Amino acid sequence: MTSGVPIGVPAGAMPPAPTRERPRSPVQRPGRVGEESARIDGVPKVRGEFEYSSDLWMDGMLHGATLRSPHPHANIRRMDTSEAEEMAGVHAVLTHEDVPGRKVYGMEIPDQPVLAWERVRYQGEPVAVVAADHPETARRALEKIRVEYEVLDPVTSAEEAMREDAPKLHLSGNVLRRVKVLHGQPAGATAEVVVAGEYEVGMQDQAFLGPESGLAVPDGRGGVDLHISTQWLHIDRDQVAESLGLAPDEVRLTLSGVGGAFGGREDLSMQIHSCMLALETGRPVRMVYNREESFYGHVHRHPCKMRFEHGATRDGKLVYVRAGLVFDGGAYASSSNAVCLNAATFACGPYDVPHAQIESHMLYTNNPPCGAMRGFGAVQACFAHESQMDRLAGALGMDPIDLRLKNAIEPGMRFPFGQEVPHPAPVREILKKVKDVPMPEEQELAGRDPRELPGGVSNVTRGEGVKRGVGYAVGFKNIGFSAGFDDYSTARVTLAVEGGEPLVRVHTAAAEVGQGLVTLQAQIARTELGVERVAVEPADTRVGSAGSTSASRQSYVTGAAVEGACAAIREHLFERVREELGGNGDLSLDGDEVLSEGRVIVSLVDLLGDEEIEETLEYHHKETHPLDENGQGDAHLQFAFAAHRAVVEVDTELGLVRVVEIATAQDVGKIMNPQALEGQIEGGIAQGLGLALMEEIQVKSGKVQNASFTDYLLPTILDMPSVRMEILELADPEAPYGLKGVGEPPTISSTPAIVAALRDATGQPLTRIPVRPEQMVGISSKPPEEPPHPGSAGYAEIGRLDERPEH
Amino acid sequence: MPAFERAELTAELKVLTSGEDGLRGEIEAAKTAAGETGLAHEAGPETMVLAGGRREVLDAATRVVEAALDAGASGVELKIEAQGDAPRFGPT
Repeated sequence: MTSGVPIGVPAGAMPPAPTRERPRSPVQRPGRVGEESARIDGVPKVRGEFEYSSDLWMDGMLHGATLRSPHPHANIRRMDTSEAEEMAGVHAVLTHEDVPGRKVYGMEIPDQPVLAWERVRYQGEPVAVVAADHPETARRALEKIRVEYEVLDPVTSAEEAMREDAPKLHLSGNVLRRVKVLHGQPAGATAEVVVAGEYEVGMQDQAFLGPESGLAVPDGRGGVDLHISTQWLHIDRDQVAESLGLAPDEVRLTLSGVGGAFGGREDLSMQIHSCMLALETGRPVRMVYNREESFYGHVHRHPCKMRFEHGATRDGKLVYVRAGLVFDGGAYASSSNAVCLNAATFACGPYDVPHAQIESHMLYTNNPPCGAMRGFGAVQACFAHESQMDRLAGALGMDPIDLRLKNAIEPGMRFPFGQEVPHPAPVREILKKVKDVPMPEEQELAGRDPRELPGGVSNVTRGEGVKRGVGYAVGFKNIGFSAGFDDYSTARVTLAVEGGEPLVRVHTAAAEVGQGLVTLQAQIARTELGVERVAVEPADTRVGSAGSTSASRQSYVTGAAVEGACAAIREHLFERVREELGGNGDLSLDGDEVLSEGRVIVSLVDLLGDEEIEETLEYHHKETHPLDENGQGDAHLQFAFAAHRAVVEVDTELGLVRVVEIATAQDVGKIMNPQALEGQIEGGIAQGLGLALMEEIQVKSGKVQNASFTDYLLPTILDMPSVRMEILELADPEAPYGLKGVGEPPTISSTPAIVAALRDATGQPLTRIPVRPEQMVGISSKPPEEPPHPGSAGYAEIGRLDERPEH
Repeated sequence: MPAFERAELTAELKVLTSGEDGLRGEIEAAKTAAGETGLAHEAGPETMVLAGGRREVLDAATRVVEAALDAGASGVELKIEAQGDAPRFGPT
């Protein structure tokens, strides 16, 4: 199925593949922990000088491309690659038969084919890969691969997948996971006031701007180096090595520039494919997805349908919560297990609930695979529990904030999943803070700049139907990996004199995905060793795993590893000082010098001389435990809380929205870098706003209808309101510097706060997100069955994937 | 995010057939038996993976091997891996 060199070129005539130089590690002069510290990658990014993974280039490299299934569910009857192989410029055409090791991969369950063999389970599933001397040649070669499909009826919803007569999509059926949480005596619980509601969340995309891309370089000895944008280098490496049939140390990964992630880069995309092609051809192979392909190349946020029932006393004390959540996991498992667990454990919200019965189901379907996305599991549950709290407040005639304050969970209580609420858990404080933020002044409609009307210049009225609404929500999220996973990070720190000045080098495998981790690592080294110059080495697999850049965990876990390695170096230095200079006073490091009780006693340049001190530390966070059969257990490491207030204006005639302002209060434990924190909070709110109002992958009969940024709507700067922040620094006594993860909470409760504000303005129930104009004006409670046909942008040349002729 | 508890034991089974193309009865029998255990996923045209607790995986593997042999398979390659032995995520 392969041809190592193009037609007409003798194999021996190919030049040897050059090796790619290791990326540079520029020297920073960061601030200390807590100080404003500019990002070292900030200026290159805004100047367009930053090398993203799609910019990777090597002389002599080939270009990879992927043939994908046009069908969401089909048997593969026959595949013929001969015509593609014979094309000039084509160097390799590979199918499942060419996968040298394990033919499936997966972070939690290895159920996803590297390349499909007998059956495809979603539209866009990889079937074959090609390497050619030009991207266009590779694309044309894909058209020459003949695949005969037997098209099958797709299973297109989780409800359909649950039916007994549904086709089994995997050997053991369609149920991927079920988590039950039983707390108190929910079966017999009754209440004076009961509210029930059904809620639905659409399929959101991570919508990172940098598409999936990477460069695989064969080492000439059977191994391979892969430069890749990812979230977890080591889990990629281990999966790639298994499928290549190589030992892990024969596969080396280096992080290249990551253009956003948000969970969508936790799974493999072209990692194995590019390495297979590189090893087959003996040449570097670059693969870069285009925007349309990116929508098929990564997982999305799980769509979910939820039914909730809340019971309370007449004075507003919660008695019970009963809930059923059904998630559409799509064709393969990805991290669906964790999403299912999170949703079950967070379904009651940050409230004291005496009795709870929660069932969370995850199903396989023939829809696109779903997996990790910012706040995963907690996002869906928060929309439902906060909608229910508003509904309950309405039934009780209570202020929604007062109802939440009355039921707020406190340290020392137990969550419905049995874990004790740790200190701090400032649910009341953040609710009060966000309520006390002064309201934005109402803007006169008469004479208003039309760009400041709901819908902007698209608003064809003079704003006669514009109404203002205000809504609140509070949410929480687990930080770090849960349920018994041995979660750790490794840091190697070196101190030496370079260029006449002390320099700290920090080496981890932690992925900088745009959140500012490279700067934070430097800040920690600066703080712990008092050395002004710090270089953070490129993240790669030459050092131990740092775990994933997800679950808001890297500041905590990799931060603790860097802190620990620096502390070991510091102790080493102090030992030297005591041995060589004597004295038992309190020693400290600052300004590249060693101080004793505030007095300089020796410079690091003199103390170190030519010596280099290196320490490697592996930090494991405290143990967590799986839930038992009743969903009880100390499953989570840390909890982070945030509250949001949204002020919106809705044109109730047109269903157009302007989010006027978001106020938020969040407990972060410790502000590590104010600028980075602000960026995380604003970015998280933007994603929450997107889910509330516009972001949804439209899937019809298992086929994606809007795989482009023309048709998948994203909030822009024009949609973003001003954000007012109240930050609490209540230290977590077990965390480094007392910090809490900050990346996910801004996304979780911003969405329900906006929807609550929309309900306040329109009086409509709005039980499905993203909310559509027709729902706001009361034409329909749900989107139309037949979504509007998307524009032709992006499809003009090659045709939409679902409409292309079969190969 | 691999937060979910990993399987205590994983068994990978590859059904060895008589070698004639198109005779896939042995494989189908093994897949059916594997599916009925509730622990199985496909891992290749002739390969499946069983994942779960130690006892249930060992029992399930036995049932799958028997089903394959009963259907005429010439053999079954079996690779069993315990979670603690899996060399994952370590330094190189």
